Amino acid sequence: MFKIKKFTFSISVLVVVILVALVGPPLYPKLNLSLYAGTPDTPPSNEFPLGTDRNGRDILSHLLIGIRTSLYVGVIATIIALTIGILVGSFAGFKGGVIDEILMMITNIIYTLPAILLMILIASYLKERSPLFVSIVIGVTSWPWLARAVRAQIMSLKEREFVQMSKMSGLKGYEIIFKDLLPNMASYIFMSVALLLSISMLAEAGLSMIGAGIDPSTESSLGVMLQRAQQGEAIRLGRWWCFVPPGIVLVLITTSLLMLSTSIDEYFNPRLRGGK
Amino acid sequence: MLSSIILKVEDLTKVYETGLFKKKYITAVDKVSFNVSRGEIVSLVGESGSGKTTVAKIILRLLPPTSGRVFYNGEDIWEKKSIEDLKKYWREVHAVFQDPFASFNPVYKIDRVLEQAFNLMGTPVDENAIKEALKEVALLPSEVLGKYPHELSGGQRQRLMIARCFLLKPKLILADEPVSMVDASTRASIVNLFLRLRDEYKTSIIFITHDLGLAYFVSDRILIMYKGRIVEEGSPDELISSPKDAYTRSLLESVPLLYGKWAGF
Amino acid sequence: MSLLKAEGLRAYYNSPIGQVKAVEDISLSVEEDDFIGIAGESGCGKSTLANVLMMNIRPPLKLYGGRLFLNGEEISDKSRDYVKEKFWGTVISIVPQAALNSLMPTKRTKEFIIDVVQAHKKISEKEIIEMAKNKFIELGLSPSVLDLYPHELSGGMRQRVIIVASTILNPKVLIADEPTSALDVSTQKQVLKMMLDLQRKQSIRSTILITHDIAIQRQVCNKLIVMYAGRIVEYGNVDDVLYNPKHPYTKGLINSVLTPEPEVRRRGLMALFIPGEPPNLVNPPPGCSFHPRCPFAMPRCKSETPGLTYSGDRAVACWLYIL
Repeated sequence: MFKIKKFTFSISVLVVVILVALVGPPLYPKLNLSLYAGTPDTPPSNEFPLGTDRNGRDILSHLLIGIRTSLYVGVIATIIALTIGILVGSFAGFKGGVIDEILMMITNIIYTLPAILLMILIASYLKERSPLFVSIVIGVTSWPWLARAVRAQIMSLKEREFVQMSKMSGLKGYEIIFKDLLPNMASYIFMSVALLLSISMLAEAGLSMIGAGIDPSTESSLGVMLQRAQQGEAIRLGRWWCFVPPGIVLVLITTSLLMLSTSIDEYFNPRLRGGK
Repeated sequence: MLSSIILKVEDLTKVYETGLFKKKYITAVDKVSFNVSRGEIVSLVGESGSGKTTVAKIILRLLPPTSGRVFYNGEDIWEKKSIEDLKKYWREVHAVFQDPFASFNPVYKIDRVLEQAFNLMGTPVDENAIKEALKEVALLPSEVLGKYPHELSGGQRQRLMIARCFLLKPKLILADEPVSMVDASTRASIVNLFLRLRDEYKTSIIFITHDLGLAYFVSDRILIMYKGRIVEEGSPDELISSPKDAYTRSLLESVPLLYGKWAGF
Repeated sequence: MSLLKAEGLRAYYNSPIGQVKAVEDISLSVEEDDFIGIAGESGCGKSTLANVLMMNIRPPLKLYGGRLFLNGEEISDKSRDYVKEKFWGTVISIVPQAALNSLMPTKRTKEFIIDVVQAHKKISEKEIIEMAKNKFIELGLSPSVLDLYPHELSGGMRQRVIIVASTILNPKVLIADEPTSALDVSTQKQVLKMMLDLQRKQSIRSTILITHDIAIQRQVCNKLIVMYAGRIVEYGNVDDVLYNPKHPYTKGLINSVLTPEPEVRRRGLMALFIPGEPPNLVNPPPGCSFHPRCPFAMPRCKSETPGLTYSGDRAVACWLYIL
């Protein structure tokens, strides 16, 4: 698998980002998340390697913690969306009939609602703004495409003889789904995890940037940092150090995740490997 | 002997519905009735689309019929609901499918299909019984156990499915085109395995096949299916020498022969 | 003069697990009016041979030796492109395996035929349609088929359209690879009938019919080649091979054919069937590759490979018959 360059590259980037999030904060001696840790609007210097924002926050400290929060939101939202998507998709596909129609109706309703609108509505009605809450909101709105894809695959797989063999061995419906069908979709699910991670981290950034996400007064995330930069008119004032670092990290993470998912697809679909 | 009938199929009909608004109905199986006695080999012969596989799936209790009933030992199989009743049924009525590759889940080692037999019997996995069953189908345990399906040949895979039958010793086997995807030189030995199951355990077998030659060779009785109906029924020799139905005649005229030559060709 | 002549052809696939010796020391010759059957199980190299015979050789397949003459001209030293340009469609044609599924669903029959013909020869569309019409009428098919789409045709009709398309330029040799294996028996007979008609009407001069079903070859072929593990093990007139098979593999193969005939039932299945599995062609057994499954194997069979030895118009590659 490491023969595919895209795979090696994207995995390396992700490993570096995760390492930075894990060991960065304890290793950075000047970690300080308070307001006015330094003079406001200082460009990068020896004291503040990535400078400070207009409220004197140390950008590097917030970036290190922000990556953590963003990854956390991505992982939790992915777990939620993956679970719902697989459960709904596989039961709809396997059971068929009325169960399928009801589950797919729900799926299609959520699918056609603009997710971001739904998230803004939920976020603006509720006062809760913790990262966990934002993860849940993202998780419960971003599974429908996965459910539909899983359903389609289950429907074609369940007609295969080995499924009938297992059924005739007395395996129950859920055992057939989990033991016979889902393992045959492992590569697809693996690919979906990468896609879901990328989708939910972007969703977090989007929500937080427009103020419907994580509470900027208590937590930092990549989205929150972008929101602060935007509100402080960092772009107009040329304070690039406020928005370039979180922007680059976000782009790096989501691009590598997309590359990871296409390289997984290539690995399991030799037809895409182009004549090799 | 009436008492020796183990399977009785009565007016079996399956209608498929397609189309969302303008419903179309396709009758795949149309009032099919037949019996199978203990130790009897019956072939259900038909071309693609004749409905023979649908009949097999209904008897295997994998697909509900639109109407009609299937009795196994006098009991309506579609009235069996509990998982225990079903397991008992599948232990006694088993299947060997056409595609020996698709019969195995590619993510598991082949041992699984043999171990599943014990799940069906409700007894712990018995290594010796497995080895014994493999010997019956002329496979070396060291050659196949612990391997993945793609590491074996089509013939070996189909033998494994039959080894499962030797473990379960079912009363009735539905064999859906069991040799059509197996190499010619190994085909004969697999047909022999079915014959041995019948001779040693008095297993009844229903061959579902398009191959009139196979049916002629192995069967006690042949049923010819065409467009969902059974159009003719008889002993192999009767059927071959004096076919009554027009479809049977045209089928016989089209089958390539090894010794005879097609007239007017 | 032979229409097609092969001398000691060798063609191997270069795969990551080693060379697959799919065509090993194959010599044969196809004369006018021949209808030659090539029989053998899947993986015996018969489909590869079909491609090699028309120089359709592309990596990972590579020609390693032997000579090939088409219509008197050597083609084994020419490039695939040259042979394609000069001979395909006009001197030699193939109906490949699974051609049945290769019809474009959005093209009418006549457009498909135009595409196939124009790939080989620059002729105007009008002329091609005229030729196709005549050919359809000659073969007793309705010319209205030309205006239909593939989904409007039955499987048998689709296969006949494909065969007509590949023989419209009257090639001398037609190679058909399992042309009927996806068809029901009644349509199979119609397709075979048409192939015979093509040859009787001299649209083509000789046919090579590749199939695993010896009973089909018995009905339409005059000669039979039996292949095993990339080699020819037996060759002769169909009736001779059938009633008096010499190679133990041929005997076993014929014995495993089940047809609805009293002779088959009388003969039984146990008479002689072949134990074991066909060998893999990366590491074929040394000597005669059939020896591990052969009931008559001698010490010599394990080390020396028997060559195809002729006596009259019969040939067999087996030490039992070589003195």
